[in-house]
Amino acid sequence: MEKVLKTLRKWWEVFVLFHHGTFIDKRMAVVRKEAFDINDNLMLLLFGDFLGIPNPVSYYMLELLPYVADDLETWERRIQNRKFIIAEKAAQYDFD
Amino acid sequence: MTSTEVKVHMKRFTFFGGKGGTGKTSCAAAYSLFLASKGVKTLVVSTDPAHSLADAFDKPIGFQTAQLGDRLWGIEIDAEVEARKYMKAVQDKMLDLVSAAIVDEIKRQIEIAYMSPGAEEAAIFDKFIELMESVGETYDAIVFDTAPTGHTLRLLTLPEILGAWIEHLIEKRKKAMDLMKLAARYDKPLAERIENDPIIKTLSARRDKFSLARRILTDPQESIFHFVLNAEKLPILETARAVELLGRHGIAVGGIVVNKVIPPEAGSFLEKRRLSQEQYLREIRTRFASMKIVELPLLDDDIQGMEQLGLLSPLMEDLGG
Ligand SMILES: Nc1ncnc2c1ncn2[C@@H]1O[C@H](COP(=O)(O)OP(=O)(O)O)[C@@H](O)[C@H]1O
Ligand SMILES: [Mg+2]
Repeated sequence: MEKVLKTLRKWWEVFVLFHHGTFIDKRMAVVRKEAFDINDNLMLLLFGDFLGIPNPVSYYMLELLPYVADDLETWERRIQNRKFIIAEKAAQYDFD
Repeated sequence: MTSTEVKVHMKRFTFFGGKGGTGKTSCAAAYSLFLASKGVKTLVVSTDPAHSLADAFDKPIGFQTAQLGDRLWGIEIDAEVEARKYMKAVQDKMLDLVSAAIVDEIKRQIEIAYMSPGAEEAAIFDKFIELMESVGETYDAIVFDTAPTGHTLRLLTLPEILGAWIEHLIEKRKKAMDLMKLAARYDKPLAERIENDPIIKTLSARRDKFSLARRILTDPQESIFHFVLNAEKLPILETARAVELLGRHGIAVGGIVVNKVIPPEAGSFLEKRRLSQEQYLREIRTRFASMKIVELPLLDDDIQGMEQLGLLSPLMEDLGG
């Protein structure tokens, strides 16, 4: 009996841990997504002129390039996609 | 004024501004010569992309400091040279951190920023701050020969405007980083990397440079701005407006230099002009009553070299040390 209880408790702990884990993971994924979105928007403020959006400080933003160079290409693609999705939605509603 | 008096009263940074052709360069040159003659180690700096400092001294000056006399040096800021230095530093840093292929790929983006409308101004501004930081060691004072008013007002108000913008960027990045930190709570190395975020560090360094410039420019003990104008109708109104604008940005205006005043001995041919100048001079004295007013005579020739500068420089004493 002792032994059975012990095993049960062990399983229960594992179960709790597991669920706790997925719960945290899910919540963290949401937080991470929000962080990424804020960052993508920040990149737009930093390097908008690469996409044709005028930027009053673009010269000074060059010194940030070494730290974001690796992500620049994927970021541009994400933003282009976003533009595409917005354009598609707009077309649906006959916005223009 | 004795040397000691000059050293006590002079500001470390003196600007000469005004419309093109009024005599900013001549005044900056004459004033720097005045300071040097009183024992002040002086650097005269041209921030006007259309440099003419070398003409005023009749000596070659370039983007590197050149000695012009005893305790007197000059430099003409070259936006292109400065921008190229900056780009080189960015590219070197980039090669340290990312692959050459990536560097190659974003060359186009670098070109875009390099050609952007604010780039020339930003490059001049960086050198401007660098030179300001050198005062106290190599030089005792800097005299700035500035570009025509609009350009200079933008240059001087740049740190205020861009400082606010950069602050906004820092806040955004911090918010993203805080969220990342939350998400990386169980990942120590990642959390540490976020703590030392180079983007926040770089933006903060930039912001600090701007606020330093702003602090110096708006400190009346450190910086003073003098307007140069000729005794004519329109310049009086324009100067009044510019003085007001600088005041609103917290930059102190100390004096008005009325240049090219026709001397009575000029003769009958210029007499009518001289009389109308007298009327405008009266108007200037009333309108700018709270400021020091210095009148410089129209010389019989252009100002080119120490001989003519030597005629004007003692008159600059009235601007105060
Ligand atoms: N007091 C003066 N007498 C004679 N010529 C002058 C005097 N002040 C300036 N000049 C001449 O007028 C022109 C413009 O002067 P400058 O100092 O270059 O003006 P700015 O820098 O405001 O454009 C130059 O050719 C200069 O030699
Ligand atoms: Mg000039």
